[in-house]
Amino acid sequence: MTALETYPIHVGQVTRHVPLVETLPGMKIPLIEFLGDVELTREAARLLAPKLPEETEYLVTTECSPVPLVHTLAEETDRGYVVARKRRRAYMDDPLIQEVPSLTLGSSETLWLDRRWAERLLNKKVALVSDVVSSGGTMKALEKLVTKAGGHVVARLAVFQQGEPKEDFEVTALYQLPIL
Amino acid sequence: MLGVVRSYPVEIGGVRRELPIVKVGEGVAVALLNLLGDTELTEAAARELAKRLPEGTEVLVTPEVKAVPLAHAISVKTGVPYVVARKTAKPYMINPVSREVVSITTGKPQLLVLDGADVERIRGRKVTIVDDVVSTGSTLKGLKELIESVGGEVVGVLAVFTEGDPRDDVIALGHLPLFKPEE
Repeated sequence: MTALETYPIHVGQVTRHVPLVETLPGMKIPLIEFLGDVELTREAARLLAPKLPEETEYLVTTECSPVPLVHTLAEETDRGYVVARKRRRAYMDDPLIQEVPSLTLGSSETLWLDRRWAERLLNKKVALVSDVVSSGGTMKALEKLVTKAGGHVVARLAVFQQGEPKEDFEVTALYQLPIL
Repeated sequence: MLGVVRSYPVEIGGVRRELPIVKVGEGVAVALLNLLGDTELTEAAARELAKRLPEGTEVLVTPEVKAVPLAHAISVKTGVPYVVARKTAKPYMINPVSREVVSITTGKPQLLVLDGADVERIRGRKVTIVDDVVSTGSTLKGLKELIESVGGEVVGVLAVFTEGDPRDDVIALGHLPLFKPEE
C-alpha cells in the first residue's frame, strides 16, 4: 500500500492531517471526519457559537457526521436541535419527506423528518448546521424541509465550505476547504 | 394530531421524560427513546454511564446514529476515545471491514461497517460498546462479532435502557417493557 497523502487542516487551535481523496479523476479533496474526534468537534462548536444569530430557537441538521457537533453547539448555546434522517424509521408517523437532488453520483437521497419533530419547528427561528457544505444540495433540501414544517431559516452555518461559495445560497462557514 | 398520546415515564440521572409509545411492527409497540435532539437527557445519561464504564476500557464503539451523541458525551467525560460503526460503506472509506446482521424485529439485513482507520483504533484494545437501547440484541451481537473480527476485545456494553426481556450482559440505567399497539 502506498503512503496515504494527507493535508493539514486547522480548526482554531486544533490541527489534523487528514487524508486527501480523489473524488473525480484529477480532483482531490481533504476528507474531514468529526465523528470520533471530540477535540475537533468541541473546538468547531466553540467557534460556531458566536455565529449563531441571537434569535435562533432551534438547530437543524442531517444524520450522521454533523450530529456530535450539533449536539455540542446546542448544549453550549442552550438551544434545542432536530436531526433529519436519511432513511425512514419504523416509528415514524406521517413524516415530512424531501428529496435531495443529486449532482454527482446519480443516487438521490431523501430526508425524513418525523411529524413529532417537525411540529417543534412550527413558527420557530431555525439555524441549519453542517460540518462540511460542498454543493449545498443537502442543506438546500434541509431548508425546504424546515419550511414545510413551518420553521423560518435565519442562518446557514458550516465549519467548512468546499469549493466556490454559491452566490444564490450563502452559507456562513468558518473555513474554506480547497479542491486540489 | 389530537387525542391522548400514550406514553411511558422514565427518569435518568434526575431528568424525567414521557416516552411516546409507538407502533414499530405487527403487534409490537415500544417506548421511543430519542437522544437525538435531547441534550439534557443525553448529558444526564452520559454522566451516569461514565460512572459505570468498565475498568480498562480503551475505546468506545457505537452504532450510528441515535447513540452517537451519547458516545460523544461519555467520551468527553471519561477521556476515552470513541469510534462509530456506520450502517453503510462510504465511498471514501479506506480498507473498510463490514458485517451483516439480521434484525430480529424487522427481519431485514443491516450492515455494520468500520473504516480502516477506525479498525486500527480498535485492534488489540479493550472495547466497551455504547448504545441507546438494547432490545433483541441483534445489533449488539453483530457489533461484537465485528469488533472481535478486527482484534478488539469487548469488555462491556453500556446502554441507557434494555428492552423486552431483561438481560444481564448489558450495564443499563433502566429497563423498558414492550407494549401492545392500540387498535
